[in-house]
Amino acid sequence: MLEIDGLRKRYGDKTALDGVGFTVRPGEMFGFVGANGAGKTTTMRIVMGVLGADSGEVRLDGRPLGYDDRRAFGYMPEERGLYQKMKVAEQIEYFGRLHGLAPAAARTATDALLERLGLVERRDDAVEALSLGNQQRVQLAVALVHEPTVLILDEPFSGLDPLAVDALAEVLKDRAAEGVPVIFSSHQLDLVERLCDSVGIISAGRMVAYGPVAELREREGRGVLRVVVRDAAPGWADGLPGRIAREGDRDVLLCEEGDDQAVLRTAMGAGTVEHFGRRQPTLTEIFREAVA
Amino acid sequence: MNGLLLVAQREVRTRIRTKSFLISLAISAILVAALAFLPKALGGDGTFDVGVVGPAPAPVTQLSYSRYPDEAAARKAVIGGDVDAALIGGDRVIANGELDQRLGLILESVHRDEQIRAAGVTVTPLRVESVGADARYQGVRTGIATLLVMVLFFLFIYSSMYVAMGVVEEKGSRIVEILLTSVRPWQLLGGKIVGLGVLGLVNLAVVVAAGLAASAATGFAADLPPGMGGIVVSALVWFVLGYAFFAVLAATFGSLVSRQEELNTVLTPMTTLMMLTYVTAYFAAVQPTGTVARVLSLVPPFSSMVMPVRTAATGVPLGEILIAVALMIVAVVGVLLFASRVYQRAVLRTGARVRLGEVLR
Ligand SMILES: Nc1ncnc2c1ncn2[C@@H]1O[C@H](COP(=O)(O)OP(=O)(O)OP(=O)(O)O)[C@@H](O)[C@H]1O
Ligand SMILES: [Mg+2]
Repeated sequence: MLEIDGLRKRYGDKTALDGVGFTVRPGEMFGFVGANGAGKTTTMRIVMGVLGADSGEVRLDGRPLGYDDRRAFGYMPEERGLYQKMKVAEQIEYFGRLHGLAPAAARTATDALLERLGLVERRDDAVEALSLGNQQRVQLAVALVHEPTVLILDEPFSGLDPLAVDALAEVLKDRAAEGVPVIFSSHQLDLVERLCDSVGIISAGRMVAYGPVAELREREGRGVLRVVVRDAAPGWADGLPGRIAREGDRDVLLCEEGDDQAVLRTAMGAGTVEHFGRRQPTLTEIFREAVA
Repeated sequence: MNGLLLVAQREVRTRIRTKSFLISLAISAILVAALAFLPKALGGDGTFDVGVVGPAPAPVTQLSYSRYPDEAAARKAVIGGDVDAALIGGDRVIANGELDQRLGLILESVHRDEQIRAAGVTVTPLRVESVGADARYQGVRTGIATLLVMVLFFLFIYSSMYVAMGVVEEKGSRIVEILLTSVRPWQLLGGKIVGLGVLGLVNLAVVVAAGLAASAATGFAADLPPGMGGIVVSALVWFVLGYAFFAVLAATFGSLVSRQEELNTVLTPMTTLMMLTYVTAYFAAVQPTGTVARVLSLVPPFSSMVMPVRTAATGVPLGEILIAVALMIVAVVGVLLFASRVYQRAVLRTGARVRLGEVLR
């Protein structure tokens, strides 16, 4: 279990982190979201020991993290970095060795990853000859080659095509299924919603919402009331709360408050009600709400 | 340790494959070999070729004889330049134009010796006694020392430059962020310095081998002073010490910047120190027994070039060498401590150039 506890970090008189804390259990996929400059990268760099915190602590299974623990982590920094002139396979293997793999094990792991990430044909190309997305795949392979005990990935999906997104999602799910805690940051909230067991929303250096996606939804209330009415006269909903939009010959009414039964009666009086129900808030809506 | 070796191995593998490394290796070897050939190319080897028709005189070291059947053939050889002169019948010399003065004197004395021997008189040669220092090898030793100055300077500059460029490459591309989560800073820095140092040492060995082989091929080796082994060993040892000092400094200053373009500026203190060392070593090669040379051959980092140069140019008491080595090791440890403070703090601070003051606090 990876516990991040009360991290604080200041740059000059600017506070980047103001008591960030959350916990990721083994096998849990944790989505870390927040606006630009909210503090995601700073948090992850502190977890990896690349940056020192002013206060706070990161623990693994109850013990403060040490160098040897981190050496077994897989890390993908926000600023990608590879040896541009080194060949793809050679590079992945080299990082495997640096993380302590034996030569044969490093080679096997490299081959397996090249296969999974669709890089087999590019194995002997220099990294600089690859497109940005393919370089990104190599970067991921470098983070994954040594079968990490914890994965810390800063925006791993940015710049990938849909097929690569799926391939990476599969790899991450597999690793999580083996009991590895996975933290990744992303601005693609639909993706986070689809993949993650739990989500943390950070805003201006503080965690504003955090927990399993389902729980966050609950906390957000019963969700938005959505009513679809056909053949209604214009202006029928003037007295009701909420926003109305026209889609073809239908009116779609979204209400966040008010008496739903009263809304239903008015709608039935105005035209043919085709849909009436509460819609679960999307992560995007939860996010907007939380950081507002 | 394992991490350090892996890093070193990568450095060697990457660099040894590059064209620039192979080219610089070839150029330095060819240059040194050419310098060994130079005396022969300029002054010849000091012996004369003499064509002989009829009885040949007793052999002497400065002359090599070749026989011709008759005077006509000998004449042709003289005009064609195959021989410097021809001796006909033991008492007549044919030369192309005027006879070389030194050759004339030698032929004259050979002719005289022949006649004295024919008369049954034996002459004891003059004995020469030398007073003062043995100056026989002075010219050669100064030559070797001057050459050594250039080779060491070239190797220090270019090996340290590669270290600094490697550090900036890793910092600028941010790869250092992943590297430092799998190896410790001293392993990364140490591996880079060791790897590139091995290549520098290989380069030095190739240069020395090329020089020695070329002098053996030209016969120049006979003129090499005794104790060449000691000179070579001292050059290798001082290369290692001096390289360690300058490479660590280069890496430390290199870690302050994120772009190769900023490297020259930030390395100025180190290159200045290196230039000063070079200049003093150059003076030491010319005046190896002067006070400046004697004092600076003990003071690091000047000793890294002045001491091997002094060793090559003249005899140095063992005690002084040991003191110089000990002081240099202390200096290397000193820059290592400095580096360990600066490097690991500066190398993760990408962006604008990091001020030394910020990381030393
Ligand atoms: N080296 C630095 N010096 C000064 N301020 C910094 C530095 N690094 C980060 N910050 C500040 O810390 C805050 C958090 O930045 P961080 O990079 O963690 O945000 P982020 O959530 O990763 O944003 P993004 O989504 O844009 O990647 C920002 O306000 C940023 O300006
Ligand atoms: Mg970020």
